[in-house]
This record gives sequence, C-alpha cells and structure tokens, in this order.
Amino acid sequence: MKQNGFTRRDFLKTAGIVTAMAAVGGIPADLFGEEQRMARFPEKTDMILLTSRPPQLETPLHYFKDSITPNEAVFVRWHISQIPTSVDLSEWRLKVGGNTEKQLSLSMNDLMKFEKVSYTAVIQCSGNSRSLFEPRVVGGQWGNGAMGNVTWAGSRLKDILDKAGLKAGSVDVSFNGLDEPPLPTVPDLVKSLPVDKALEDDILVAYEMNGKQLPMLNGFPARLIVPGWYATYWVKSLSEITALTTPFEGFWMKTAYRIPDTPCGCIPPGSAQKKSIPINRMTTRSLIIEPANASSLKVNRPVTIMGIAFSGGYSIRDVIVSVDGGNTWRGAQLGKDMGRYSWIQWTFPWKPEKPGKFTLMARATNSIGESQPFDGLWNPSGYLWNKIEKTEVEVR
Amino acid sequence: MKNLTSLFLLLAVSTVSLVYAQDSASKDMVHSITLPTVKVELRAGEGKDETERYCGICHSLDYITTQPKLSKAQWTATVNKMVKVMGAPIPDNEAKRIIDYLDVFYGTGK
Repeated sequence: MKQNGFTRRDFLKTAGIVTAMAAVGGIPADLFGEEQRMARFPEKTDMILLTSRPPQLETPLHYFKDSITPNEAVFVRWHISQIPTSVDLSEWRLKVGGNTEKQLSLSMNDLMKFEKVSYTAVIQCSGNSRSLFEPRVVGGQWGNGAMGNVTWAGSRLKDILDKAGLKAGSVDVSFNGLDEPPLPTVPDLVKSLPVDKALEDDILVAYEMNGKQLPMLNGFPARLIVPGWYATYWVKSLSEITALTTPFEGFWMKTAYRIPDTPCGCIPPGSAQKKSIPINRMTTRSLIIEPANASSLKVNRPVTIMGIAFSGGYSIRDVIVSVDGGNTWRGAQLGKDMGRYSWIQWTFPWKPEKPGKFTLMARATNSIGESQPFDGLWNPSGYLWNKIEKTEVEVR
Repeated sequence: MKNLTSLFLLLAVSTVSLVYAQDSASKDMVHSITLPTVKVELRAGEGKDETERYCGICHSLDYITTQPKLSKAQWTATVNKMVKVMGAPIPDNEAKRIIDYLDVFYGTGK
C-alpha cells in the first residue's frame, strides 16, 4: 500500500521545504521509486509536494480525522503555470456574457448581493489516488489526499445567469479563471457545463471556504463549485462565464479529463481508450483513516476503526467493515449527516482477541446503490478511483 | 417595506463583507502571495541540459521526477504531446535527445 508512506515518513526540513525519501520498513523500495517531499506554500500548511510550478500539493491523510478540512490543508492543483499570485479586488470583475441579454461585470460586492447559499461538499481531484493504478499511468501521482470536505458559501450560478438574462439556444456555459498559459500555444484552462447542469440550484460561485476567504492557491477570490462532480469543473479564480450557442470544444473538455464511455468508466488494464466522454460525477468511496496502515495494536485492547465515506451527490446509506481481509463484514456506525454532498464519518469498535496480521477493509454504498469494487477499475488517465482499500495492521 | 428590505440587504452585505475587510495585512483591496522557489535536480547524464532547458519553459522539473518509471513509448507520447498539443518549441533532434534521456534515467528500460 503506497499511502502509508505519507504517514510514516522521516523527513528533513531545509529552508521551508522538507525533503522526504520513502523510508518505510517492510515495503519494497521500488514501490517508492519516486521522490516524496513536503513543502509549505503561502496560506497553506505542510503539504505533500507533487510539483511546484504550477503547484500541486496533497493533503496529509491525518487531516481527514476531522469532518471539515481546514483551508490551509485543502489540496492544491493548477494546470498551467501562470497562476494568479496577486488579486486587487478593486479591479477584479467576474464577467458574464455570451448568449445573454446583458453583459455583466460583477465586483465582489456585486457578487455578494445575490442570496448567500452555504453547504458542505467534498472537493476531489479527478486523479485522486492515481498512484494506486496498476499498470501505472502518467499524470500527477496523487495518493488519497487530493480531496477534502469544506463548507462553501457563495452565490448561485443560476441567479447570476438569470441576472444576465440567459437567452434561448444556449447549449453550454464555459468558465475561465485568471490563470494563463506559459506560451500562447498552450490551451488556456477553460471548462464547460451543459446548460441544464449549469442551471441546477446547487452550483455556486463561492467566495468563502469554511467562513473565510479562499486561499490564493485554492482560487481566490471566487471559484465555481459543482458539488458531486470532480473538481476539474470547480474553476479557480473565476473571471469569465460565457453562455454558448454551440458545444464548447476547448482542449480541457474535448481532449483532457475524459473517461471511457463504458458503464464503469473503465477498460481492461493497459488497453487504449476509444469512445470517451467528459468526466463528471464522483464515484462512491470510503477510506479508513484510523488506525493508519502498518499500525501496531495490542491484543484485547479495544480500538475504534474510523473513516470517511462519500459519493457523487447521494447520501451514504451504509458502510460495512471487515477486519479479516473481506471474509466477514459488519455495519459501521455512521456519524453526523452533514448533507448529501459532504462526507460522513463512520466508526467501528473492534477488540482484537489474538495476535497476528489483520487486513481491515471498508465498503460504502450510497442511497442509489452505488458502491465500491474489490478490484481497482482501470482507465488510462487514472480517474474515478474507488477501490476498497486495505489497511494492514499487526496485533501483538 | 421596500426600504426595510433594502436596509436588511445592506446589513447582510455589510456582514458578508467583513470577511474581506478583516483580510490580510494590507488595508487596501489587494491580496498577494509569493510562491517559493523549489530546486529540482535531474539525474546527471547525456541530454540533461536539453531536458532542463526545454521542459522547464512551461513547468518545474518535478513534473518529471515525480512520475513512475515510464516505458519509452510513454515518454515518447508525453514529449510528443508537449510539442504537438502544447506547442513546446522543441526542435525534432532535441526532442529525440530528451526522450532518450528520460528513457535512460526515468524509464522502465522497456
């Protein structure tokens, strides 16, 4: 299991950047062939550093013991290197136009005049857990920390589009942010939603994360929130919303962020993707947070196995847990329900009665019956990962 | 009634604006950060200079070092994507040297 490298790693601090080489007993060294580092970026805590320009920072798993992920620990993922590092709110405007009656140019104060809406929602990178794919795939080598659970607040996209007067014949709505490509030939990061999706009540232009302004690296001053869908659509440092009368065909929709057009979004491992569709709603997942992988437990001492579960916009119906590698399963106790877009915490009391190695597993099912596979589903971009994870512990 | 509504709206707006008013050291409306510089050292060898020079135009070199070991076909596809899709200005002969370097030092050897 690769992810235990993130919790059991020696590291050396040097000038704010921490270098950490995998140093985990009992794990084959070649599994950790890639360098692992920690870094502290502005307004962020010590995060697992994937890349620095543009930044990709992963959340250490211990933050998921809390139901809400603090702003400074929420993962960071930018695509093109000219990212905003300074925003003057007296000049920043959100432009809304295209196939609309009016062209709007909203200041932050204008944006805040719409009804304020707030809810808690999981934000998760499409490629979360990509490093677990086998065979391995190209791309950001995330462990399980490219996600978080945040209380967002902002204005409904629908209210903004209503104010602009969305005209008949609109098919897609595109979203652009302040980040810019390093060369004119590099496609700017622009995403789109079908117009029916864009008009759903729950889609926000959020200007608050957990009651505070957004950190610059998480999309200050405002970002799109598409709850239940992967974060590729949650455009950061939003600056332009455009209603389109023809399907949007930008690179980041037409070529990138696509999944196989099969019921599972998967194809045989190592094969080539043929027919594809844009990635969209999140798969159902659960994760054991405590005990951490490779923990040592004591015989007859009770422990509480604890974790989280979430799905793409449907409440978690149940979580079942196995302490014997999947042979027998029992229901976990679900924690406080924080809404259908939030993750839910679960607990499972356990008293190991004999020494030995134990494999802990958890499996979540949502309210429409979507669950998690025992074997990893494979696609060439490393998306949709939701395999039932195994936490290995030793009881002495 | 209309005036009352306006007053309420004004109050509501003032409240939410507080989040911004409290922000940061600067009293003005500017919010800024300074990104750290992270040094990444590629493995020494034939083709390292070209790899640093061309790949580093658009992204930090940890985009290379954090990848799993890739096959030569995967590295070739990646470099070709950078040239053909992203428009990286890499001459053909240099692209070939970069692919060879990545294959030798960051590849599976397959």
